[in-house]
Amino acid sequence: MLHVENLTAAIGDKQILKGLHLDVGAGEVHAIMGPNGSGKSTFAHALAGRDGYDIGGTVTLDGADLLEMSPEARAAAGIFMGFQYPVEIPGVNNMYFLRTALNSVRRARGETEIGARDFLAVAKEAMELVEMKQDFLDRAVNAGFSGGEKKRNEILQMAVMQPRLAVLDETDSGLDIDALRIIAGGVNALRGPERSMIVITHYQRLLDYITPDFVHVLVDGRIVQSGDRTLALHLEDHGYADYVNSDLDADPSAAPGRPLAGASS
Amino acid sequence: MTTSTAAATSPHGAIELLDSVIRPTRRDEAWRYAPHRQLDALTFGPSVAVDLPADLDEQIPALDGPRVVVVNGIVDPVRSHFVTPHGLHVASLADVSESQPGLADRHVDGAELVDAFTAYNLAYATDGAVIVVDAGVDVATPIHVVDVVVPGAATNTSSTGVVIHIGAGSSATVVETRLGAGNDSGGSNVRTTITLGDDATLEHIVVQDLPANQVHLSRVEAVQGERSTLRTRSFNLGASYGRLAYRVELAGVGAHAELSGLFFGAGEQTLDQQITVVHRAKDCTSRQLFRGVLDDASTGVFNGGIDVCPGADGTDAEQSNDNLLLSNRAEVNTQPRLEILADEVACKHGATVGQLDDTALYYLRTRGINAEEARRLLINGFADEVVDDVSIETLRDWITRRLGHDHD
Repeated sequence: MLHVENLTAAIGDKQILKGLHLDVGAGEVHAIMGPNGSGKSTFAHALAGRDGYDIGGTVTLDGADLLEMSPEARAAAGIFMGFQYPVEIPGVNNMYFLRTALNSVRRARGETEIGARDFLAVAKEAMELVEMKQDFLDRAVNAGFSGGEKKRNEILQMAVMQPRLAVLDETDSGLDIDALRIIAGGVNALRGPERSMIVITHYQRLLDYITPDFVHVLVDGRIVQSGDRTLALHLEDHGYADYVNSDLDADPSAAPGRPLAGASS
Repeated sequence: MTTSTAAATSPHGAIELLDSVIRPTRRDEAWRYAPHRQLDALTFGPSVAVDLPADLDEQIPALDGPRVVVVNGIVDPVRSHFVTPHGLHVASLADVSESQPGLADRHVDGAELVDAFTAYNLAYATDGAVIVVDAGVDVATPIHVVDVVVPGAATNTSSTGVVIHIGAGSSATVVETRLGAGNDSGGSNVRTTITLGDDATLEHIVVQDLPANQVHLSRVEAVQGERSTLRTRSFNLGASYGRLAYRVELAGVGAHAELSGLFFGAGEQTLDQQITVVHRAKDCTSRQLFRGVLDDASTGVFNGGIDVCPGADGTDAEQSNDNLLLSNRAEVNTQPRLEILADEVACKHGATVGQLDDTALYYLRTRGINAEEARRLLINGFADEVVDDVSIETLRDWITRRLGHDHD
């Protein structure tokens, strides 16, 4: 469904992604783990279409060239990005925002727009998923929300938008265990045979709640290893030190204790 | 510019003064950013009646309740509704000048000739609206004053007077809509005086939406009694040069004034707010909250003053002006003026100038909202902080609709 081939991204002279390969099939959940500064968030923004990067390589979603699309066209194509730092938008009502978003992608897909009353039913269902109260919809988007509320609002948006591919960027950062449980519950409820997810995280903790089908280790702009969820457990025990140290060496294979690189390109 | 107090100036006396009146120049701080060529092209004189263009009716916000429609400085009795509930009196200024000259005189007596245009208004604004609320009356429905200019051959600028008095313990809402019609350039010059009795409350809204080839000059002067509350909301939207000047005097102990405003410019508009709040009595509070949105090559001006007089101890005054520039040719000039001559005074002021937040735009676009719509959402979100202050739903909707389409 998602095909990423030799993806590069740079800001000015600074090369951040250095040739990234990834294939995500329908219904699969892929975890991308890596140390700070490895390019995890850049990868997410490259998929969502943020301006400011020099992008190279190929990214297709169901065969369509994603890199040629505006962020809004990507959303209409089925990409949803859960932000690590959801943006506060004072003065814009959350309910109005959600309905505008949903109707924008419906319009772009040639579907009929949804009326205020029908939308309320959609929103209510989504709110139950992330245990939100009605007053959440009456507030301005993320304005004055706590860290946990902002992240829950992201999952609420995902539930309303019903994307084909969700890219969740450090959705677990800054959450206490109760908020993490609620958010993971929401994400798990949205898993389905036609919906794929890329879950980006620094810590294995999130993967105790959202069980991935595949785990990839991203270091210095490349996926250096791929495996099943046991790879995450290995990282939990050993950290990223193996990969980071090896990267500083002239000969990577000389690094001690480095696991065998599987899918590194 | 002439600055003098004309005690007991009658309209006639003011006309004699006009010979000595000099129009403001760029050297006058309060007129620094005004388009002086356009101002110099304005001509003033006695009001001349014309018919209200039919299509203008649709532009007027449809509010229920009493309404005074003033066309070229003359009240149009056909389009006005003077029927009022008990305790509220709405009439034309020309009628009141004859029947209750004392009331009309209060409008001009002791008027400060702050500039030439005030002098012209005192001389020529012989008609307009008078709104009086007796003591102890709560008026539920808003009272609407609609001022329309249709620039004519003799003079191209209309002069209108509005008198508002809210009796002790009473409350009311007055909406003043200022519009223009016709293809000729010109403008309107409206002066409003407000007196609030002790414990009175007034919400006073000005919506300025003249065509882009006209000039609007507005001056609101308010004097507040003890523990009274004045809430002004101004929407400076139309005209090539739209000037909304306020002078609010907190004369009674414990009075509260809240002035909010939105100026929303495009094209080559200049939208000018000149605000002065005078704390004359003890323990008064005042708040100024103004927001500007400037697109294209438009200019915004916020000149906000807080004067704390000797003896006005316990003053609590705040002022803020936040601006959003949508184009690199747009500009805003924001200046606080604080003069504090009393003790135990709390004064705060702040101003910001910013652009649309790129990260917020991106965030909205990742939700499928196209760039133009995302821009509009952010702009309206910024403006709504002021628009939401308007308690009349039909007017709020009218303003929102007006902000929705671009100004040509």
